Amino acid sequence: MAWRRHPWWYQNRSTIVGLGVLFAALVGAYVYSPQMTEAVLASTLRQSIPLVLGALCGLLGERSGVINIGIEGQMLLAAFVAFLMNVYTANLFLAVLSGIAVGALLGLLLAFLAVTLKVDQIIAGTIINIFAFGLTGYYYQVGLQTKGKLTPIAIPLLSELPLVGRVLFENPPITYATLLLIFIVHFVLFYTPWGLRTRAVGEHPRAADTLGINVYLVRYVNVVVGGMLAGLAGAFLTLEAVGTFERLMTNGRGFVALAVMIFGRWNPISAWGAAMLFGFATALQTQLQFMEIIHIPHQFIGMLPYGLTIAVLAGLRGRTRPPAAVGRPYEKE
Amino acid sequence: MRKWMILLTVLALALGLAACEKATPTPTEAPAMTEEAPKATEAPAMTEEAPKATEEPTEAAEEGEMPDCASPDVLCVGLVTDVGEIDDKSFNQSAWEGVLKAKEELGAYVDYIETKDPKDYEANIRLFAENGFDVIVTVGFALGEATQTMAKEFPEVYFIGVDQFQAWAVDDDTGNDLPNVAGLIFHEDRAGFLAGALAGMITKTNKIAGVLGTDLVPPVKAFGTGYINGAKYVNENVEAKVIYHPGGLDVAFTDPEWGAATARQLIDQGYDVIFGAGGKTGNGALIEVAEAAKAGKEVYCIGVDTDQWYTVPEARPCLVTSAMKLITPGVFDLIKMAKEGNFPAGNYYGGVGLAPFHDFEDAIPQEVKDKLEEIRKGLEAGEIPTGWPIEE
Repeated sequence: MAWRRHPWWYQNRSTIVGLGVLFAALVGAYVYSPQMTEAVLASTLRQSIPLVLGALCGLLGERSGVINIGIEGQMLLAAFVAFLMNVYTANLFLAVLSGIAVGALLGLLLAFLAVTLKVDQIIAGTIINIFAFGLTGYYYQVGLQTKGKLTPIAIPLLSELPLVGRVLFENPPITYATLLLIFIVHFVLFYTPWGLRTRAVGEHPRAADTLGINVYLVRYVNVVVGGMLAGLAGAFLTLEAVGTFERLMTNGRGFVALAVMIFGRWNPISAWGAAMLFGFATALQTQLQFMEIIHIPHQFIGMLPYGLTIAVLAGLRGRTRPPAAVGRPYEKE
Repeated sequence: MRKWMILLTVLALALGLAACEKATPTPTEAPAMTEEAPKATEAPAMTEEAPKATEEPTEAAEEGEMPDCASPDVLCVGLVTDVGEIDDKSFNQSAWEGVLKAKEELGAYVDYIETKDPKDYEANIRLFAENGFDVIVTVGFALGEATQTMAKEFPEVYFIGVDQFQAWAVDDDTGNDLPNVAGLIFHEDRAGFLAGALAGMITKTNKIAGVLGTDLVPPVKAFGTGYINGAKYVNENVEAKVIYHPGGLDVAFTDPEWGAATARQLIDQGYDVIFGAGGKTGNGALIEVAEAAKAGKEVYCIGVDTDQWYTVPEARPCLVTSAMKLITPGVFDLIKMAKEGNFPAGNYYGGVGLAPFHDFEDAIPQEVKDKLEEIRKGLEAGEIPTGWPIEE
């Protein structure tokens, strides 16, 4: 019997069923209480933004073969510089750009250490974290006041939609940018020659090199672009979410982003789903604590996403495999 | 070649950091404690006769130079922070201000150590004790155990544990109370109760909430419980809820984005007074409410511990008041008592109260203010139950 290709909807049946159930649940919740559903969804999206940006950063690096454990540090230093830029220039656009630039610079440092110097990549990332923790902790002065933060922009008509309108179409700019970036990164990674080269370099750099792909260049570019995304996440925290800087304010989000990346199996859109799940768990635990419906310790709900990540890693959802050449420096012959 | 480049990169980073060190002035004029500091060879027995000699501020205390702390004539006060900074806009800062007041009014020589890692609590306290400091202030619930251990080891030093329950500080050998430890604690439930009463009176939607640090810390839970009961005391129709950070002690107080997102989730559901209590996490909530207020929503926020009008100026558009633990006078009073030789061992209750209303002075009706004053008196006299401790 000849192998027959199934139609796309059959191949993706579990995803489609899952999304259908999810949508039905949302509509049900919306009918029950529009205000609560919108509040929880908005909170979910908001909390997923830094996670998905961090995951995209990690994913670009690992797809090209470089582990980035320094996302936390990249976010934190970018958040800090974006904050300072906001304080001293009062120009939000410039502040966002400076955050991205800092992320790119730290990405460049990581690439230099990991690709050119072939330092152990875990150590290289850890250096970045320690560097960022120390620098921001030392230089931060209490009393600096920000000059405003990014405010939501409502998209006409779309924001009037029930259920998703206010959640998806009345957001500040970095949130919109992130939603676009997820699809852009996905497209570039899977539908362009550059993406093919990136994946080839991450799976089998020797073969890619034989075919004339510049392994070092591909890794450099991916790690630097990843750094820019982590920088954007940092800018999100200070300019859009909190509106000010605090020491260690990333609070482990850079590391959770790595879990999100693995949960999303190194795929941007799946990673977004994973980030939404993590965000939802946080919003849900707030809501449950609040409504006093179930009396289970709130720490328990808080650990739900981590438990799921372990389950995924343990092979519950099929085989999860990182890019083959991840973490291994490439030595030209 | 490669080795050289690694070396160069590391050197460049190190140089960068070294440059930072030079560029910024040190936070206080207090000198770093080096070998030059006089070693405490003999314990400075702080007995009744000591205070007379210390009435005049010594010259050394005026200057940044470290005086001979081992000498009974010199009052040296050291402060060890919890993990966090001396300028944390909250606990550490308030306690340090109390110590600074002792410098001004009692002529004490003062210095502080910022703790970077919970493992260092004892080491940091020991550093002061071994340098002959007379009074050591340790800030925060988490330092309670280290403070006790050190108090046993250095019986000649007075220890003030801010926010530490020290009633059970007992000497293992003799079974007696430790006479040199005082825990400066507060009726957080009363402060929370006052905040809740105000919230219950100014809410328009009859829905008020609190965004708090972790309930693993009893004082935080006391704030929350008092807040809910205070609101219900003045307004039986009010719906009052509090949310605790789900993380552990390591993250619960340093997560402003969680506080902000949670506050937003509450505002979106019609809660119009938000009590932010939990270090930077609470501050995040306050700033988020202020954003909503700036965008035209009629929402208010209430700060905690210190008058957050000064410590979180970003929150001013919504900040009606703060539920204050009067840490600064409490620390000062205890230092003074240590100096005068009537140090109270065990727990010592400092005062609580609401901070000034600032911009909202005119917006709050006189009858609300009168009612708050009446409740404050009732609480102080112990006539109004706050519902804390929670009876299981």
